Amino acid sequence: MAFQNEIEELERRRARALAMGSAKRLEERKAQGILNARERVAHLSDDGSFSEWGQLAVSIRPEDEARSAGDGYVSGTASVDGRPVVVHAADFTTLGASTSAIGDKKFHHAKANAAKNGVPLVLLNECAGSRIPDIMGGQGLHRAGEHSELWRDRSSPWAAAVLGLTYGDGSFYASMSDFVVMRKGAVLAVSSEHVTSVALAEAADPREFGGWEVQTQVTGVVDRAVDTDEEAIDLIKRFLSYMPSHGQELPPRIAPGAPGGDQMRLLDLLPESPKRTYDVKRLLEVIFDAGTLFPLKERFAPVAFTGLARLAGETVGVIAINPQHKGGALDADACDKVVSFIVLCDSFNIPLITFADTPGFLVGAAGERQKMPGKIMNYLQALGAATVPKLSVIMRKSYGQAHLNMGAGYCDEMAAWFTAEVSLMGRQPAMNVLHRLKPGQTPERYAELEAELTRDTSAYALANAFMAQTVIAPYETRDWLIRMRALHTRRPSGGIGLRRLATWPTTY
Amino acid sequence: MKKVEPMSKTSAISEVSGSVWQVLVAVGDSVEEHQELMVIESMKMEIPVLAPKAGRVSEVLVQPADPVAADQIVAWIE
Repeated sequence: MAFQNEIEELERRRARALAMGSAKRLEERKAQGILNARERVAHLSDDGSFSEWGQLAVSIRPEDEARSAGDGYVSGTASVDGRPVVVHAADFTTLGASTSAIGDKKFHHAKANAAKNGVPLVLLNECAGSRIPDIMGGQGLHRAGEHSELWRDRSSPWAAAVLGLTYGDGSFYASMSDFVVMRKGAVLAVSSEHVTSVALAEAADPREFGGWEVQTQVTGVVDRAVDTDEEAIDLIKRFLSYMPSHGQELPPRIAPGAPGGDQMRLLDLLPESPKRTYDVKRLLEVIFDAGTLFPLKERFAPVAFTGLARLAGETVGVIAINPQHKGGALDADACDKVVSFIVLCDSFNIPLITFADTPGFLVGAAGERQKMPGKIMNYLQALGAATVPKLSVIMRKSYGQAHLNMGAGYCDEMAAWFTAEVSLMGRQPAMNVLHRLKPGQTPERYAELEAELTRDTSAYALANAFMAQTVIAPYETRDWLIRMRALHTRRPSGGIGLRRLATWPTTY
Repeated sequence: MKKVEPMSKTSAISEVSGSVWQVLVAVGDSVEEHQELMVIESMKMEIPVLAPKAGRVSEVLVQPADPVAADQIVAWIE
């Protein structure tokens, strides 16, 4: 064969790269049921669709050449459920997938190609942190910033999995992403245990502060936690199925699905007593297409449900107050969560649907220390700046400033269920604030004064003034949403919004 | 260096301040994740305390009419 030596040399180099890091570490993973970088990419990609770049890249330091296959990353383009993506997967068995000069160039290539071609970027993360000594010194450190790789404008969606020890850049990539899933047992933190203990003489274990419980419940940086690599990658595929490939197109539409149940069931799921709480997810599952509700940040600030769903086959973004938690009172974390979700929807032309049942924003010292006025206004700014269609449903209570944040004056259409109740606050608290009176104290005087400040708080008060566009029964909600969505498609722009929130900060 | 042990018991907390209205479980009961353990009356609402995980109720720390603070531990699940 002609060029036999050249062909053999190419194959030899390729085989070396495909072998990744130490055989021992690869075996250890296998024994633990943890996939390696190439198995992860294969699980993500449609069969045979992965084309790699940077396979033959190695460390910038000649002495590391033999042990730096791909310089720690498996990167390239593939198709996922028939649609192109760029994937950048950490190979922890190669120098801990630590941040390095050539590995950085590969990430820049991945990020830039995803952006300019309008395809999602999938990040399968692990990272030991910055590689030492590569990143040491003025030039070593500065080189890491030369491609502005830690900046993004949400031109296309990013989805990240945290699949092992993920420090430094690995943690930054994940926290910049639109969707983050974590394997239980993985760690997401800026610094490793060793760096933390050396720098701060602090003995905390990152498994504690960077584990899935903290990242899903306390910080909300991670959307979902799962048990295996395969489940994590499957959730990324599911997330991408709702998303457009980039911000200048509409999300993919599928054939309209059947509703998640008989709409009359809503009358059983909504308690007749306004004092009783309920799990709003069970109502949403009935209203939207069967099996399509996809919660984001579900364990973080659960009083605000945020998630994607399909309505007659179309992707929609759902913000719903869940009175099962805190009686529906919105706190600072809930504001942050809602803002991040509005940013996602506005960036990718996903219409927003809000469902209100809230006694208002949670008042008190704890909230004030968390900048509550600023959080509330940040949320309102996001809602106001978002140019995607916005439909609002008032289920039960919609009190105080929260009524505005749930869409009053900011939405395209508002429907009030016949159970809606809208006011600044309840009558009894109002009596207490204004007259310092509680029921039972001077009953006659109380009744007289109460009558003075009683206003119509019903759904019909809004409908009479054409503040709500309609009053509906719960079982009419799905039909109303489908009809209103049919109008609110923003034909002149083809449904593409101004995407003003696309450059808002990541991680709120 | 401190080692992290898997936590054998998990606290159930009241997310709101208010007063205990009903306690729905007793020590020794098996519960599902997200099962209602008790109901707190707050903001004129009946707000449930949900089991943080499936397990067995090992301690109930409050009884009806007790005041509770936000984030107070009201029961332990093993």
